[in-house]
Amino acid sequence: MTRVEMTLQVKEISGQNPFLCMQCGLCSAGCTGRGIMDMLPRQVMRLIQFGNAQVLDNRSIWMCTTCLTCTARCPRGIDIARVMEALRTINLRRGDGVLAPEDLAAEFLAEIPQMALTSAFRKLSA
Amino acid sequence: MGIPYFPGCTLHVKAKELDDSTRAALAALGVELAELPEWTCCGTVFPLAQNNYMGMVASARILSNAAKQGDGRLVTVCSFCYHVLKRVNFAIKNNDEARTKLKEYLEEDYDGGLSLLHPLELLRDEVGFDALRNRVGERLKGVKVACYYGCMLSRPAREMDFGAPENPTIMEEFVEALGAEPVDFPGKTKCCGSYQVLNEHELVAGRVKDIFKAASLCGSQVIITSCPLCRFNLDTFGEAENRSKIPVLYFTQLLGIALEIPIDRLGLAGQDGDPKPLLREA
Ligand code: SF4
Ligand code: SF4
Repeated sequence: MTRVEMTLQVKEISGQNPFLCMQCGLCSAGCTGRGIMDMLPRQVMRLIQFGNAQVLDNRSIWMCTTCLTCTARCPRGIDIARVMEALRTINLRRGDGVLAPEDLAAEFLAEIPQMALTSAFRKLSA
Repeated sequence: MGIPYFPGCTLHVKAKELDDSTRAALAALGVELAELPEWTCCGTVFPLAQNNYMGMVASARILSNAAKQGDGRLVTVCSFCYHVLKRVNFAIKNNDEARTKLKEYLEEDYDGGLSLLHPLELLRDEVGFDALRNRVGERLKGVKVACYYGCMLSRPAREMDFGAPENPTIMEEFVEALGAEPVDFPGKTKCCGSYQVLNEHELVAGRVKDIFKAASLCGSQVIITSCPLCRFNLDTFGEAENRSKIPVLYFTQLLGIALEIPIDRLGLAGQDGDPKPLLREA
């Protein structure tokens, strides 16, 4: 995938224009996953602007909880949660997810609410 | 005939107490719910990729079947169900391509006419907070309550129409109507870590710690929620000492306590974290 192709794909899948981002960092400041992300949402946006494919390989896109705090705060009106989903989607369409049923402990599965299983597998598993 | 009601898959199994307390409390206030005759899981998350209509089909089917009940309303209480059903309904109503595609998938002619209601809205608009205030007496007087909305109820604001995206107030108004005291809780719309409970325990543990800290700093005696996953994460990842100081309840359980409904009908027997301070005179 060329640089231009990657940025175009993110644009198409997310329906958002990454070039509107002015790098203010409000999205990063309120992000639920910021404590354990290797790359904050603002940095994710910057790499997309550059067409840098490393952005597809970073842990942050799998740490996102789709809480929409970034989306609510972005002064440029970008729905960043959709951008994060686009990056996951490109991976998932290639068969690259992060969650596998066989990695989950049976006792834990017996405890957690069904909605957590359905949502996690929909977001994180190919 | 009651108002059509979609419990959702978690409420029939792991969050039965949310289902039980919702039905019992609303019934005590003269609002009957009628569970939809047939339903499936709503899909739990709204698809954020453009044109991912497959991810909307389950919700669209539920909405289209609910419309056939002829009431024009659909009530659901789980925050995830409410979020997804409301957004899919919004898409069907306002997005021509979504409507056309979903009609083709479903072979049904539903156009988004239903009004999706959360029980908090029913309490405000059907029962009325003033009527509720008159009904409950002083049982919860002085109890300090943290209203925890989490991430699903109020965002995105235009679609959810549930108040300001990071500062909705309907739950605080509800708590006031119960005669209790809503605290100024800065964690109210923070995310608990959600489904990352399957992928990243560390993330959830960190979020839960912050939420309890915020609740404790503003003097909360109880946290209320309408989300089974928030409840699970707070109960599972909260430090034991926090949990016993600040129990987590469904808002419908607090309502049930105020209405003096027996605690076994509210799923409060065997509660993790002790709700007894709330039951002073019970
Ligand atoms: S809040 Fe919006 S404009 Fe600011 S850095 Fe994030 S994406 Fe860019
Ligand atoms: S939606 Fe994802 S990226 Fe945005 S604030 Fe929440 S966790 Fe962070």
